[in-house]
This record gives sequence, C-alpha cells and structure tokens, in this order.
Amino acid sequence: MTSFGRYTSAETVGYSFSQPTSAPNKEHSFYPYTDNGGSTLGISGSDFAILAGDTRSVAGYNINSRYVPKVFKIGGDDESGDGAHILLSVVGFAADGQALKERLDAVVKMYKYQHGKPMSVRACAQRLSTILYQKRFFPYYVHAILAGLDEEGKGALYSYDPVGSYEREQCRAAGSAASLIMPFLDNQVNFKNQYIPGSGEGHALEPKKAEPLPRETVEQLVRDAFTSAVERHIEVGDGLQMMVITKSGIEEIYSPLKKD
Amino acid sequence: MVGKDCVAIACDLRLGMQALTVSNNFPKIFNYAPSTYLGLTGLATDVATVSDLLRYKVNMYRLREERNIAPQTLANLVSSTLYEKRFGPFFVSPVLGGINQTTGKPFICGFDSIGCIDFAKDFIVSGTASEQLFGTCEGLWEPDLSPEDLFETISQALLSAVDRDALSGWGAQVYIIEKDKVTQRLLKGRQD
Repeated sequence: MTSFGRYTSAETVGYSFSQPTSAPNKEHSFYPYTDNGGSTLGISGSDFAILAGDTRSVAGYNINSRYVPKVFKIGGDDESGDGAHILLSVVGFAADGQALKERLDAVVKMYKYQHGKPMSVRACAQRLSTILYQKRFFPYYVHAILAGLDEEGKGALYSYDPVGSYEREQCRAAGSAASLIMPFLDNQVNFKNQYIPGSGEGHALEPKKAEPLPRETVEQLVRDAFTSAVERHIEVGDGLQMMVITKSGIEEIYSPLKKD
Repeated sequence: MVGKDCVAIACDLRLGMQALTVSNNFPKIFNYAPSTYLGLTGLATDVATVSDLLRYKVNMYRLREERNIAPQTLANLVSSTLYEKRFGPFFVSPVLGGINQTTGKPFICGFDSIGCIDFAKDFIVSGTASEQLFGTCEGLWEPDLSPEDLFETISQALLSAVDRDALSGWGAQVYIIEKDKVTQRLLKGRQD
C-alpha cells in the first residue's frame, strides 16, 4: 500500500493535480442577515410626532458609512418625499429596512390612487403589520416604528417586532441602544417612578400622571437620549436625524453626533 | 455615583436563580469603614464569600494599623483579592463608593471579576441591569449634585433601570455618604 500524504489508496496513482474523489467537500454557507446596528427613537405629542435615528451604519466593528438614514417619509409624491404624511423608521438589517420602506411606500401610494384619499395612519399601521407577518418564516430583520397624526390630529406612534406584532405607544426606542434609552424614556416621558411631592405618605403617594409633552421638551429629550447612547454604545454615533410631523407637514432636522 | 462632597451607592433587593425569585430582601451593599461601602453583584455564594473575606481582611488591617481603611486602599485590597483567583475567579463585579477621610474627597470605582479597577469620575454600574443603568445614569447624572439631588438622581436612575430588567427589582436600598454623615434609605419600587 502506498501512501500519498493524507490520502491512502491501493489502486490509483496519486498525481499532483488529481483530486481524490474521496476528498471531503468544504461546506459553504450563506447567512442572509447582517446587523447594521444603530438606534431609533419615537415620541408622540398632542399635535405632533417625532421619529429620530442615528446615521451610523456598521458591520461588526467596521463602520460602513457615517450617513445612512434610518427614518423615511412614506407616501410622498416624488423622490424628495414631499406630500408625505407618514414616517417610518427601521433599525436592524439595513437592506431589509430599505426593502420594507419601498414596499410600504408603494402600498400607501397605491391606496391613494385607488381610493382617492390619503391612507390613514391607523390603516397604514395595520397594513405594515400584515406585510411583516407575510414573511413570518423569512422575516424582515428589522424593528420598525411608524409615526403620523391620527384622525383627531393627535400624534400617533406604532412600534413593531420583526414579524408584525404591533402596539400604539407614547414613546419607543429601538435598535442596539434601546436598552439604554428605553428606561430613560419611561422616566422622562411617562414619568415612571415619579410621584407628586407632598401628596401623601407611603402607598397614599400619588404617581405623577403622564401627559403629552411640548415639542421643545421632546426634541431636547431626543437629543439627550442620543448623546447619552453615543457615550456608552459603540454602534451609535456620527449623526442624528430627526423628523417631526405636524399638521403643516414634515420637518427634517440633522445634527452631528460624536464620530468616535 | 459622585456628587459635590458626597457619594451615593445603591442596589436592588432581588435574589434569584435565573427567572426564579428566591428572595426579595437581599441587600448587596456592605460597609467596611464609616464612609466606605462596597456593592457586590453576581453569584450569590461569591457575594457572601467575598464580602466575608474582605470583612476579615479589613478587620486585620484595622487592628494592625489602628485606623479605618481608606476607599483607595480598599480598592487595591479588593483588586488583589480578586486577582489572587485569576484562573478560578469569584463571579462578582464589585462597585466601591466612599469618602476619603484624610482628603475629604469622594471616591468611586468598579471592578471586573478578576480585579481590574475602573476609576470613574461620574458613576459606576454593575449587574444584570448594567445596560439600562448606563442609559439612565448617562441621561440623568450631572456634576456637583447636592446630597438631596444626588439621592433623587441615583434613585430614579436605579428604579427606572431595574423596571426594564426582568432579573432585577423588588425594591432598593440607597446610601448617601457625606464626610461625617451617612443616610440609608429603603425604596419600595415595583414588586414584580
């Protein structure tokens, strides 16, 4: 018996170029998802809603770009998004986020052409849930937040899990720094763990009621939440993109964040 | 957490095995000198062992030196005690807070399980709710807080953070340390 390196064969002569048929094939694999990091945050008020997100895009420890928006206008008349009355933010896998945004944008436009009126935020929220659930076993790998104004003109905010489970809320943080931002929001927006001083002793103490905050306060809270997240999370930074939706339209505010 | 001429240290009261709550009155802060406190999170048996071991070492220090241990000295003692077990560590991540009686200056620091010291000017967090605590502390803390404001800040930061962590909560204990006064308060918090 002759032995050629790793492969032992009794009959065949081993040429340097001949691959033994018994050679184990290397297993290739393809993972269809990447985590592009970043964080988004939405807060609703009495007559407005704010959606914000940082603009950094990462893959592992690499920074792909310092400006990849995560907040989009939905149902605009053209490329610029003018005439849109709904906002969508997506964080997680950026490619799926982009695809989802395109899908929802098309749906909202088709609705207007077919029904001759703009889609309500409530209807859009339900439709987004359906779109996400349709891909129940190969999901859009995103945490989406939808914002707009409801039928009464009040700020409306809906948050989703990757497979379409959704809820209307006052505020929501999503993405990699959600665990840092969310408890801060509980405390500062919904006044959790805050009581009215002198309202009683022990159990009689009256909890401070959550009520819609004015726009300036909310904008400052969003900035504070993100500057805090930037300090302690490496995937968050570079820029802060804020979109404010009111009855007079959508306003976009960009401000720089730390780039380290 | 550091304030103006004061330091605060706080912990929740839950003890659990993963999702199972074993006790809802398990304080994690231990006293080693009149103005020096140490918080220990992690494996409960190691919390007990390390706190007892340090009590023994600090007592020996006090007998030999005939004075109380300074926070900085305790920091180095904790560090070397943990590093002694470099390859079979105690599963704890301690947080130290105190005021140096000689200089009158506040001092805080944190450690990893093998004794690497993290000196901080603002705050130190540890435990299962550390991410949440980083968020709330970074958002609420500001420099030079008075003892009263520091108490409110650390309490709000801790309570809001543990309410977003299923493995923490069941009330809290807060110590406000001033140069010659320590105030201990029990907070009720959510009982779920």
